[in-house]
Amino acid sequence: MSSTNDQNQGHGGGGQGQGTGTGTAAAPQSEGGGGERGQRHGRGRHRGRQPARTPSPQGQPRRGESTLNMDELRELTELFSAHGLTDFEFENADIRIRLSRNPAPAAGAPAAASAPSPQPAAAMHAAASAAQTSAGASAAAPAADESAPDAEDLHIITSPIVGTFYRAPSPPAEPFVVSGSRVEPDTVVCIIEAMKLMNEIQAETSGVVEKIYVENGQPVEYGQPLFGVKK
Amino acid sequence: MRKFRKILIANRGEIACRIIWTCKEMGISTVAVHSTADRDSLHVRFADESVCIGEATSAQSYLNIPSVIAAAEITNVDAIHPGYGFLAESAYFAEICEACNIKFIGPRPDVIRLMGDKVEARRAMKEAGLSILPGSSEPLKTEQEARAIAREVGYPVIIKASAGGGGRGMRVVRTEEELSSAMQTASTEAAAAFKNGDIYIERFIENPRHIEIQVLADEHGHCIHLGERDCSLQRRHQKILEEAPSPALSQELREQMGAAAVAACQRVGYSSAGTIEFLLDERGHFYFMEMNTRIQVEHPVTEMITLADIVRNQILVAEGAPLWYTQPDVLFVGHSIECRINAEDPYTFTPSPGRITSYNAPGGPGVRLDTAAYAGYVVPPFYDSLIAKLIVHARTREVAIARMRRALEVMVIEGIKTTIPLHREIMEDAHFRAGEYSTKFMEQFFERRRGAGAALEAAARRAV
Repeated sequence: MSSTNDQNQGHGGGGQGQGTGTGTAAAPQSEGGGGERGQRHGRGRHRGRQPARTPSPQGQPRRGESTLNMDELRELTELFSAHGLTDFEFENADIRIRLSRNPAPAAGAPAAASAPSPQPAAAMHAAASAAQTSAGASAAAPAADESAPDAEDLHIITSPIVGTFYRAPSPPAEPFVVSGSRVEPDTVVCIIEAMKLMNEIQAETSGVVEKIYVENGQPVEYGQPLFGVKK
Repeated sequence: MRKFRKILIANRGEIACRIIWTCKEMGISTVAVHSTADRDSLHVRFADESVCIGEATSAQSYLNIPSVIAAAEITNVDAIHPGYGFLAESAYFAEICEACNIKFIGPRPDVIRLMGDKVEARRAMKEAGLSILPGSSEPLKTEQEARAIAREVGYPVIIKASAGGGGRGMRVVRTEEELSSAMQTASTEAAAAFKNGDIYIERFIENPRHIEIQVLADEHGHCIHLGERDCSLQRRHQKILEEAPSPALSQELREQMGAAAVAACQRVGYSSAGTIEFLLDERGHFYFMEMNTRIQVEHPVTEMITLADIVRNQILVAEGAPLWYTQPDVLFVGHSIECRINAEDPYTFTPSPGRITSYNAPGGPGVRLDTAAYAGYVVPPFYDSLIAKLIVHARTREVAIARMRRALEVMVIEGIKTTIPLHREIMEDAHFRAGEYSTKFMEQFFERRRGAGAALEAAARRAV
């Protein structure tokens, strides 16, 4: 399942959205005072949970094994985005689908990788762990690659300051680095602007840039992942 | 007048939550800033947006001005509320906010600076008509000078840091022989804590009460007071418990002190919320000690008896609104007590950070809890140990004490040590219950306790 970067809600809206009608959205309060912390730079978290043993999607022929209806799955992710949810899980006897706005730590995604909204969310992952079918497996395959980048060891360059991230020295110029760029410790990889000062950020490592986690012009906080560098 | 859409809270813990609660009531969006150690804090959870501003230590995060300002810029806030501690009394920070066109919720930088210099503040307040304790009007330059002033003022005297507060850089001197070394240690301590070793000297009162007056002023010259708080229960100059009104004040004295405080504020052009601290001697004379140009930890007891929301008033004043009420509008209803619950051993006061494994918040009639604690919360070791303020309100002091006793009994915080047991004992203490105490109370309380302990031990030995 492809990831989508749509962000449907405005900046700094605050407050709590409502879960969709399917399943029970566990209210944050019921998770105990300390349970899940609020979305960084956005709204609260919601879980929508489908009861187990729900019948397969309508109109889909049963072949004695479960299949994933790609259209339905796509619609599911759209609904997920539209309602501003951050987590959704569905499970029946054969299949488990999980949508998360924050990459699951288990998938080895970069630590603390949740991007502050309203910027485009980090890639949404559908990690479908089908019990058996190849159809299920292949549908999951692209997503699985996406959500498990860290079979490899990426060194994450994080932001040392609060500010606005820029990929190039000035608007018309070429970005400092792109995916595939080779970097040395003193290579400038980006600029972070704070209080009208342009701070050049150095890689402080050697390797090849593999991932870029933020977008040009995006506000970043201290410790926010910027680049993933393969050593 | 300019209504705020969004405010950044440059603080953490219970006060950050407290400010967020009022902002929510006023429909103002909030931005929480936090260190890496505070990611799971309540203020981060309940603010509309949050920005991580640095590593765990205060210097790298909550005191990191560029980081805080950058966070304010990327979230596009209208104003910053500094809370108490951290940058709340940094005139420099207030100036930077001004330069960046962000409203600093507090008084003007020059007023903050004036009150931050204890020697200058004494001078200004004296000119404004307040009595100050006899002593030096300038920082001491030589030991000779100190000796001369001390002789004139009369022993005992106290040496204090000009740039200080919070009990550091202070030494009581009872005889001339002790003066020299006391000056040296006080100055060294002051230099370490406040980067300024200047010290001054003043008369020391043996059994004073610490009475402070809460003031509120707008930016148009209006100023009122919201009565006093008695903060005499202190250990090493750290407040343990506060109450309003003070059992020691008559209505007449209250009006006198309040009027004096208001006049002084107007003279220096004060705005926003502030507190003037006085020492009250046993004959009803009150002397200016210092002024705190910020909201204080113990503000809730004032809020309870006046039905005011001080944070709300600070925001309205900062927006440019005139004070909606005049002095005759201020009501005083009933009695309020606050117990500061710290993550510390209740008798040795060693800090006790760690995970709260079990938690129950007291409620019921007349109970208010200002806290950022919750079940599962890990109290970090990097900041001060205050984790909750338990406040009660009742019609009379007697009922307030019974209410506090009850609330402390059912307040549960397990997994770490807290000062709840200490407060429960204080509620039982005969002197406290009678309202008879001075700043010496805690010292005497621990002595009584040691005595009781020894007596019990002796009795037990005899019994066996």
